[in-house]
Amino acid sequence: MGRYLLKRIPSALVVLVIASVVVFGILRLVPGDAATALAGPDASEESVAAIRRQLGLDQALAVQYVHWIGDLLRGDLGPSYAVGGEVADLIGEGFGATVELTLGALLLTIAIGLALGVLGATSRRRSVRGVVQALTTGALAVPPFVTGVLLVLVLAVGFAVLPSGGRVGLFEAPDLELQYLLLPALCLALPSAAVVGRYLKDSLQQAFSEDYIRTATAAGVSRRRLLWRHALPNALPPVVTLIGMQTGQLLGGAVLVEAIFAWPGLGQLAETGLTARDYPVVQDLLLLLVTVFVLVQLLTDVVHAWLDPRIRWE
Amino acid sequence: MRVHAPPASPAHPQLPSRRATLRAAGAGALALGATGGLTACRSAVSVAAGEGGARRGGSLTVGIHVDFTPALLFTQSDQALQQRLIYNTLIRYDEKLRPQPELARSWQYADDGRSITLKLRDDVTFHDGRAFTADDVIFAVENLRKPERSAQLASTARAVTGFQKRGEHELVLKLAHPVANLFDLFEFMIITDRHTLDDALKGRRLNGTGPFRFDRWRPGTGVRLSRNDRYWIPDRPYLDSVELRVYSHPDALLSALRSGQAQLSYGVSGKHLAPLKAAPNFRIKRYDTGSGAAYVGASVGTKPSDDKSFRQAVAWAVDRERVVQQALGGYGLPSAAPWPRSSPAHTEADRIHYTHDPGKARALLKSSGVSTRTRVPLGHPSQPLHTAIAEIVQYDLEQAGIRTELQPHDSATFQKKLISGTMPALWVNLHGFAQVHPATLAVSAYPFNEAKNTSGFRSKAYTDAVRAAWQQRDADGPAAHARYQRVSDQLLEEAFIIDLAIQDQVEVAAARLRGATLNKFSYLSLDHAYLA
Repeated sequence: MGRYLLKRIPSALVVLVIASVVVFGILRLVPGDAATALAGPDASEESVAAIRRQLGLDQALAVQYVHWIGDLLRGDLGPSYAVGGEVADLIGEGFGATVELTLGALLLTIAIGLALGVLGATSRRRSVRGVVQALTTGALAVPPFVTGVLLVLVLAVGFAVLPSGGRVGLFEAPDLELQYLLLPALCLALPSAAVVGRYLKDSLQQAFSEDYIRTATAAGVSRRRLLWRHALPNALPPVVTLIGMQTGQLLGGAVLVEAIFAWPGLGQLAETGLTARDYPVVQDLLLLLVTVFVLVQLLTDVVHAWLDPRIRWE
Repeated sequence: MRVHAPPASPAHPQLPSRRATLRAAGAGALALGATGGLTACRSAVSVAAGEGGARRGGSLTVGIHVDFTPALLFTQSDQALQQRLIYNTLIRYDEKLRPQPELARSWQYADDGRSITLKLRDDVTFHDGRAFTADDVIFAVENLRKPERSAQLASTARAVTGFQKRGEHELVLKLAHPVANLFDLFEFMIITDRHTLDDALKGRRLNGTGPFRFDRWRPGTGVRLSRNDRYWIPDRPYLDSVELRVYSHPDALLSALRSGQAQLSYGVSGKHLAPLKAAPNFRIKRYDTGSGAAYVGASVGTKPSDDKSFRQAVAWAVDRERVVQQALGGYGLPSAAPWPRSSPAHTEADRIHYTHDPGKARALLKSSGVSTRTRVPLGHPSQPLHTAIAEIVQYDLEQAGIRTELQPHDSATFQKKLISGTMPALWVNLHGFAQVHPATLAVSAYPFNEAKNTSGFRSKAYTDAVRAAWQQRDADGPAAHARYQRVSDQLLEEAFIIDLAIQDQVEVAAARLRGATLNKFSYLSLDHAYLA
């Protein structure tokens, strides 16, 4: 196993090196540069040149690349050009905000999805099933930017029970933060909850038609026990897999929802960084994502090799 | 053996029993209780809205659409509201551009206009307790001269050639020549602490003399400030704290205002103001000083805009009223000249020098013999406002027989092209700096700069007119007005910058907020502001 791992690590490192060159190069190919963006709309060429010199952008690209990689290897992500502050702090804070939003949305996805699925599968009233069907269809059909605006209009503007946007920080004021989190998390969660709810409903209906349910019913097992002890445990495994897949989508969808609810996550940071050509912020962010992807791939390969010895001997 | 009757349908368990219903109700009550407990702690809505505070006290949240950028602390950027909250300036203009004392108590020009003596306040301290002195003014002027600060008024700062201190609170500034827009510099230039400048440029610590102390800046979230208890105006400010909170999406900003989460904003565009106009709990105020003016730029080194008749035809072709109504939501002034009504250079004749007259535009094109067979590139930033204006211009030019091709660019690319002078034949953009002394426009706003501008336009007549307006002491007499007219005449005749409309600065404030004002550079002043 150790030998297999040693064989895989060099290729992962090569991928990272190539990715760093590509990320660095692509940003330099994008028209406009950090110095002109930073100089402002009425800047003279003299000002742009002075800023370029100050940021080290007048050096050869190879020198800039080596400096960047050298600093990264020392664990120094350096200062941001335009956004301001240290890149490590910016990415740390943005990452925390995005993960918080995603986790909040995931919890709501599970809660709403389970409720809708169970209700849709167990209710004998057609009207209730119809409402569940309409809710899931609506949640799937309406895009998050529309849901977001509607939620804000009703709950923040109309009834003024929740804030319309922003963030205060989970550790600074947890009670306020939960209120700030609720609307964006709900907006993000609704489509995923609808998918989970529909899938669970079908899965439960399938389970209810199985012989063991019929037998248990005949044996006098209570309705509640029938659902929670027999049908649901058998219906859940494929739903859990689906929730896992939805988590990735939630993370991606968070970028859009962040803008609607002024939630300062990675999406907003990437947009601001790219608009201002803040090379350190965008470079480090992209390389971080590539690194995470490479590590996940490496981990997956190792797990596969552990499960299937044939892979180790290939 | 007990036999149970089979259920009606094994696939659908029966309706919940009474006990189950009661349990569910109990669980629901618990959930509601938990939510109630959560919201009973504090409400994010009421906390953000600023509880309490009739005159003294209270917290104000200002919705901003662009985050504070520390690196642009000394540049006029899209977000300058924090400048006059944390810092002070030497003077403040009144509505008629007459300087009023601030950190400078009084001033005296030398007879030849080549020096000015400033008497400074001696009762001012920075937030860290250090006393404000003449050295801080010297540092501020020298700092603005540095090219890396990219300050628009750098040329005015460079006209200050020497300093002579007369004690800690009196300072003589030596000038290379009389400078008509010197007080623009004094209103623009924030007095920062010279010992913590690096920290300020990184957004860590902003130490000023202003009414509010800097608490913290969180990128993407905003800036938090608290009352400066040692402010030099007695018993001011009224407010305990101010937060500049970022809402980058227009709908999010609008929602924050409508929900009461933010009580003040200058970032709502005219097109988004409709839902707030009828709301009784809001007050909408227009500053005619302008937050920028929409213009069509022309590269004089590129065909067909190298021909003055073509440029004038463009000026006649565009429907400025439509630009104001459709692109600016009615919040603006159609104008062929760059000056807002409050400017000493403004005249009604200049404002309507070019009106919407496609026939005249066609006649000019015909008489000049300029070829309009090929499509003329029309560059513009890809932001919604710029795109809307560019589309109106494209349509209007088409009616006059000039076919154009829109070339959108993201803001960084557009800025690079603007500074490097590589714009296409025509472009659409916004410019600032017409709201202060007229000379500032021509020496500080790059599109108008007589020495070097994006259009590549240079002429002795324009240079002479600009220098005559700039290198004078008198800023508002009849002679000064005659000099401004020379600048306007040159701009209108040469039409290398074709002004379309002056955009109003629009303030949206909760009705209970009183006393918030902006200076000419859009620095927010809350010295006397309170929540009623």
